[in-house]
Amino acid sequence: MWVISCHPVPDSFTRAACQRAINGLALAGHEVRHTDLDADRFDPAMPAAEWRHHLDGPETKPAIAAYLEHLRWCDTMVFVYPTWWTGQPARMKGFIDRVFVNEVAWDLPPGADRLRPRLGHVRRLVAITTHGSSKFVNALEGEAGKRIITRAIRVLCHPLTRTSWIALYGMDRRTEDERRRFLDRVEHRMSRL
Amino acid sequence: MRALVVVAHPVDDSFTHAAASTAADALRRAGHHVDVIDLYAIGFRAAMSTEERDAYETDAPVLDPQVAEHVELLRQADTLVFVYPTWWSSMPAILKGWLERTMVPGVAFTFDGTNRVRPGLTHIRRIVGISTYGSKRLYVRAINDNGRRTISRALRLSTGVRARLDWLALYGIDSCSSEERERFLDRVSTRMVALR
Repeated sequence: MWVISCHPVPDSFTRAACQRAINGLALAGHEVRHTDLDADRFDPAMPAAEWRHHLDGPETKPAIAAYLEHLRWCDTMVFVYPTWWTGQPARMKGFIDRVFVNEVAWDLPPGADRLRPRLGHVRRLVAITTHGSSKFVNALEGEAGKRIITRAIRVLCHPLTRTSWIALYGMDRRTEDERRRFLDRVEHRMSRL
Repeated sequence: MRALVVVAHPVDDSFTHAAASTAADALRRAGHHVDVIDLYAIGFRAAMSTEERDAYETDAPVLDPQVAEHVELLRQADTLVFVYPTWWSSMPAILKGWLERTMVPGVAFTFDGTNRVRPGLTHIRRIVGISTYGSKRLYVRAINDNGRRTISRALRLSTGVRARLDWLALYGIDSCSSEERERFLDRVSTRMVALR
């Protein structure tokens, strides 16, 4: 289980949700690795050198070697983040841009115009997120972040990969009690994965 | 017309940069004022800082002078042009971060008394997206074009849906011939000259 979290504020609700997710996974006896992109000060802007080596092997991208090791190891990826402008915060989008690389996440056979998936060992994707606005407004806006995970990333994984979407909508209007219940739900769902 | 062109690509001699200069030149030729923000060239910081997140819901959410400059350009513009390669169905992180850090409360939207969101960019009359895609058109449709969605839907909640959207896409760029690329640049030029 590889948990990847992103929020710039140490005592944020997202961090709390991440901790509860890890608790739930540990409770169920899973082996958990956690990457906190803000603690790592992960640079979301793909460097020119990585872009130039887009079609080369992972040895050309030493800065992300540790993440690639986790990506090869995990069978479940859990993304924990606040939804900003309908999607993952830039820091997490940058993680997606930089870490899903050739020869690890996909490859491109000669002459093909579509990537061949290489994350067959990943069978479950989980997103845990909060939205400032309501479910209705998010539906209107098209839920880009949800589709990036459940479609763009999912096609790289095992064909039967299941996705779990655990979201708190209308965050700005939620009571303390509702927030607490959401955290309980996160831990419960993760303990039953 | 005052156009603000925002470019996101790590490599200076990329096709994205060629498309951006083609667009900017065409707009200038048509007599418009053009400002260009090249996010990689200026080393724009994509990730929102702890301090910025803490200030987000205050009256002064802009802390970085560079972001303040961009907000000023945004306020003067009536046309926004985004030029980027589509990665993982959406915009590169550096452009996503630009939206997050400049399109803050008091700029892109305001909260009225009842905590409802009101548009703050109603002076933007037109949005143009110019993007390249590794995949073919049908595949992009199936996965969803999430970068385009973010601009056409979320951003247009801030500008109002009367802001016209033009989308110029080059699909399957990896298998495009140089003639096809040239034709795309010509199309960018023609469309920008004709922009009203």
